[in-house]
Amino acid sequence: MNWLLGALLGLAALAGVLVVLSRDPKKQVYALCANGLVLALLFFALQAPDVALSEIAIGTMVTPLLFLVTLASAAMHRKQP
Amino acid sequence: MSMLPWCVAAWLFGVGIYGLVTSRHYVHMIGCLTVCQSATYVLLLGIGFRWHAGPPIFYDHPPGTAAVDPVVQALVLTDIVVGAAMTALLLAIALQVHKRRGTLDPSQLRPLR
Amino acid sequence: MSARARSALLVLAFIVLAPAVASVIRAMPPLGQPLSRYGPTVNALAPGLRNVSNMVAAVNFDIRGIDTLGEECMLLCAVTGAVMLLRGRRGEDMSERAGRVPGRAIVRRSDATVLVCRFAAIALLLFGVYMVLHGTVTPGGGFQGGVIAASSLLLLYLGEGYAPWRRLVRGPVLVVLEAGGALAFVLCAAVPLIDGHAALQNLLPLGRWKDLYSGGLMVLVNYSVACAVAGGFGMLLLEFMEETRAPENDPEPDEEDV
Repeated sequence: MNWLLGALLGLAALAGVLVVLSRDPKKQVYALCANGLVLALLFFALQAPDVALSEIAIGTMVTPLLFLVTLASAAMHRKQP
Repeated sequence: MSMLPWCVAAWLFGVGIYGLVTSRHYVHMIGCLTVCQSATYVLLLGIGFRWHAGPPIFYDHPPGTAAVDPVVQALVLTDIVVGAAMTALLLAIALQVHKRRGTLDPSQLRPLR
Repeated sequence: MSARARSALLVLAFIVLAPAVASVIRAMPPLGQPLSRYGPTVNALAPGLRNVSNMVAAVNFDIRGIDTLGEECMLLCAVTGAVMLLRGRRGEDMSERAGRVPGRAIVRRSDATVLVCRFAAIALLLFGVYMVLHGTVTPGGGFQGGVIAASSLLLLYLGEGYAPWRRLVRGPVLVVLEAGGALAFVLCAAVPLIDGHAALQNLLPLGRWKDLYSGGLMVLVNYSVACAVAGGFGMLLLEFMEETRAPENDPEPDEEDV
């Protein structure tokens, strides 16, 4: 249990760095998905199933989708002022 | 090990701030903000955690067995959902900026002109 | 401020704040030995007082119910703000078709994808409803269940494409869900006040332990939160999708709309 928590905490720190360092927003969306998934696993390990469920739904589905739609809309309407 | 969660929380917050300051794209900036948010989740859940305790749900094990703190979990739970709605609000603002100015680069936008 | 100056300021701030952060980290209790008595007290008392087995739901919907009411209002405000911003300058010169990013190839969905997405969307919706119904018993509740139910809309979008999806999803239904959920929460808090009790006081029968109906008023609050969250996130998805429509003067519809 000890090593599992430690490993997941390390992964969470790493995933945060990935999100920040992926400068292209399109690539950052995937980093965000990974970040959400790692955080959800960490919350499971911290005995918080409720929080993990909401983090899976929000962090890996809803938020990345909103980012993608925003980027798509910005790319679509680039030509117009 | 006993200090690790606090270090990770501080690290995530610092990394998020670094991303916010050096960002060249509004959408990227909002992603960095979610990293800052995740620091608070790690901190709060770490505070409520207890060794050799189960989740605070007494369905399979009877009430009275050791369980982690439910109050911080309730805080984080609502924070995640409301935070996502806030992220959506920020993205809507970014879209407005793009419609009016045609760019998403913060350095090309002067606030007062 | 130039990028260089900003970075310098950031480094300076990190250097100044680092000792403070380090001392705070040193002063924190070690992991796994919480100091607060609040949580253990809730764990000890709430199962007997409220007949519920999910302590997180008990904290959210009863013990700290007013906080959740505040959070709910924040959610409502954020969703309203986002919808207003998106609708504000959209105008009417948008077609009813999905737009496309210039220079990107259009790949037709296979029938298998459409079918799998339909099944998965229904399964996800059912799972969300299941989580809401069992909110006070097992992990789950209005917040998670609402979000999961709303994200079934997203799977439906992946399968169907914009135009059929838009015919399926009705904006007013989502608005009524969201506003009605928030109103129901406020009523749950306010009705006990009329009779001279505290806000959100549990006046309903508490129900049976491990039953779908357990926790009295908590169940109603749970359902209203679920409606509000599902409606709010459905609304957000819908309004963001509206942003991806093609402009009116765009050339001919492509394969994707069929």
